[in-house]
Amino acid sequence: MTGPSKPFLNLGRRRFLQGVGLAGAAGLVGMPFGRAFAAEPEKPKEIIVRAWGGSWVDSLKKGVSDPFTEATGIAVRHDLTEDNEIQPKVWAAVAQKRVPPIHINWDTTTNATKSALRGVTEDLSDLSNLANVTELAKPVGLDGYPIVNTYGYVYVLAYRPSAFPDGAPKSWKDLLDPKLKGRIALYNDGIGFHFPAQVAGGGKLEDIPDNMQAAWDFIAKIKEQEPLLGEDPDFTAWFQKGEIDAACTISTNAREAKANGVDIAWTVPEEGAKYDTDGLWIPKGLPENELYWAKQYINFAITKDAQQVWLDGLGLPGVVPGVNPPADLVGDPSYPTTEADFKKLIRISSKVQVEHESEWFGKFKEIMQG
Amino acid sequence: MRPSRTSYPLSWRLMDAVEAVAAAVWPRSFSAAVPWLMLMPAVVLVGLLVLGLWDMADGSFRTLDTATFLPSDDYSLANYDRAFTEKLFFTVASRSLIGSLIVTVITLVFAFPYSYVMVRTRSAALRKFLLIALFLPFFIGQVVRAYGWLIILGSQGMVNEALGLVGVAPIRLLYNYPAVLFGLVQYMLPFAVLMLAPALTAIPEEMESAAGSLGANWVRTFIHVVLPLAKPGFIGAGLVVMTLSLTDFAIPAILGGGSQDFIANAIYDQFFRTSDQGMGATLALLLVAVGSIMVGVVFALFGAGTLAMGRSK
Repeated sequence: MTGPSKPFLNLGRRRFLQGVGLAGAAGLVGMPFGRAFAAEPEKPKEIIVRAWGGSWVDSLKKGVSDPFTEATGIAVRHDLTEDNEIQPKVWAAVAQKRVPPIHINWDTTTNATKSALRGVTEDLSDLSNLANVTELAKPVGLDGYPIVNTYGYVYVLAYRPSAFPDGAPKSWKDLLDPKLKGRIALYNDGIGFHFPAQVAGGGKLEDIPDNMQAAWDFIAKIKEQEPLLGEDPDFTAWFQKGEIDAACTISTNAREAKANGVDIAWTVPEEGAKYDTDGLWIPKGLPENELYWAKQYINFAITKDAQQVWLDGLGLPGVVPGVNPPADLVGDPSYPTTEADFKKLIRISSKVQVEHESEWFGKFKEIMQG
Repeated sequence: MRPSRTSYPLSWRLMDAVEAVAAAVWPRSFSAAVPWLMLMPAVVLVGLLVLGLWDMADGSFRTLDTATFLPSDDYSLANYDRAFTEKLFFTVASRSLIGSLIVTVITLVFAFPYSYVMVRTRSAALRKFLLIALFLPFFIGQVVRAYGWLIILGSQGMVNEALGLVGVAPIRLLYNYPAVLFGLVQYMLPFAVLMLAPALTAIPEEMESAAGSLGANWVRTFIHVVLPLAKPGFIGAGLVVMTLSLTDFAIPAILGGGSQDFIANAIYDQFFRTSDQGMGATLALLLVAVGSIMVGVVFALFGAGTLAMGRSK
């Protein structure tokens, strides 16, 4: 790589050395990397990181994978198998004591929690850079660090400004406007919408998970609006093709659509919006040396420099203090940084979500498929 | 006189050697087993399928423990109870069944005239054109074809643009049940034509001529001669279209907008979204059972059609 990115890479390289604990002696900095890692386990030719496609993998490559390769000489291959589809493959490999098909899984914390509960994740508590991260990096309700959360994200209400001439929608209830019939979209498993729906339907967050009738009632009203149901790439495509005017989606997708020239904005309505995290984890069953380098990859991913570039691309707040928001997201509700920002957001523990996912999924589907 | 070497050429000698080796490896007394040997690939294939089904059957009796995300050690009928009592599965199953029947009927109606013209036309150019048009979709995957319809039928697609030229506001042509059925019919049409064409080819043209010479107009000829003789083709084509439609995944997923799931979509959800492999296995086995019963009923009532390879039943 050349040009403006070079200074970052030099800095990243130093940071990387610090991260893996090899730069304790100042004299090591500047030493050829082959020698710097001479005492480390044998390097594999490559490590495989499962990732989401599009701007997601581009950001990871730029912020983490490429600097990691430059610093260690280990190539990083990105496996774009869907997170839901890699999961059974990893589970089967671990159960059959085979080497898993990936070294690192970039996963939603909810999905990763399932793998942790099943006991297929390596413990990452010994990563040195965990000393520098916020409490957001720690998975809630699990022992140790079977997953390292790497950033948070908000399921915003994204909208086409031309469809809201009176200004940004203030409430999720605005989606019930008859003029939006057939023009709104949700995730096809309802993820991101259950909790704000509970509030919009007149219920309380404290009643989750025991009594979510308010959420189901509100979702039933939304069903009358004939929403489209899809996944991340669908939202961007639907906004671009003029199929929808509003959606409950991760802010990254809305930002990507905006970058592609779509007239789109987003807001956190008065009922709040779901805040969740994604993370990195390592499946059990890797050879010792590959496990070591996979851990170093994750250790590097939670350095300030890696996070700055990676999360600039995603437009999401990281887990390392001091990471600056991209210029277009300063003060944006989808990029919470202050306590006041977080008060507007809804966070439910991954363990509760995982334990009730199947039940909530079934209920949402029952309403939407009816 | 010395015999000429050319009277028993080298190639014959080689063939003798090959025959001798073959006789050593597979003696003539084994000849009765040859048909079974030729069946071996099919037996192995079906055997593997049965093994997989057996494994799924085992999984279908185990429930998911959401505290450990492991299947239970105990067996129970809980998954089957859910499959038969939860409204979601009833909705999706009935949509799939009704959809597959509608698609079968519409596809056969469209496929018949296409096949008939393709088989009967005296124009070689037209026959080639119809054949190319028939096979071209096979080179384009189902997913790509479905995305093609998104481009054509979308809110900003070609159809709505054309409607806009005559002052009609954009209308939602996608993401509903009719769009899924439309996509399935388009996908199934080549299969149906391919199954119907041999049956129509087998009808002697003279039969139609004879009916005409005895005073039947083309409608009576069609109803009383062509249709009955084409029955094996209709049965074969219908079975293929019905089973493929019943188990389809991509078209409902892409053209249904997430709210028009078929059974295959529900199975995917259980395996890959909720990680409930037991429930996924239960739905998959029930789908296999329902499909098999439907095929069995058709076989019992009408025979196997062209799938019977000329046998009456």
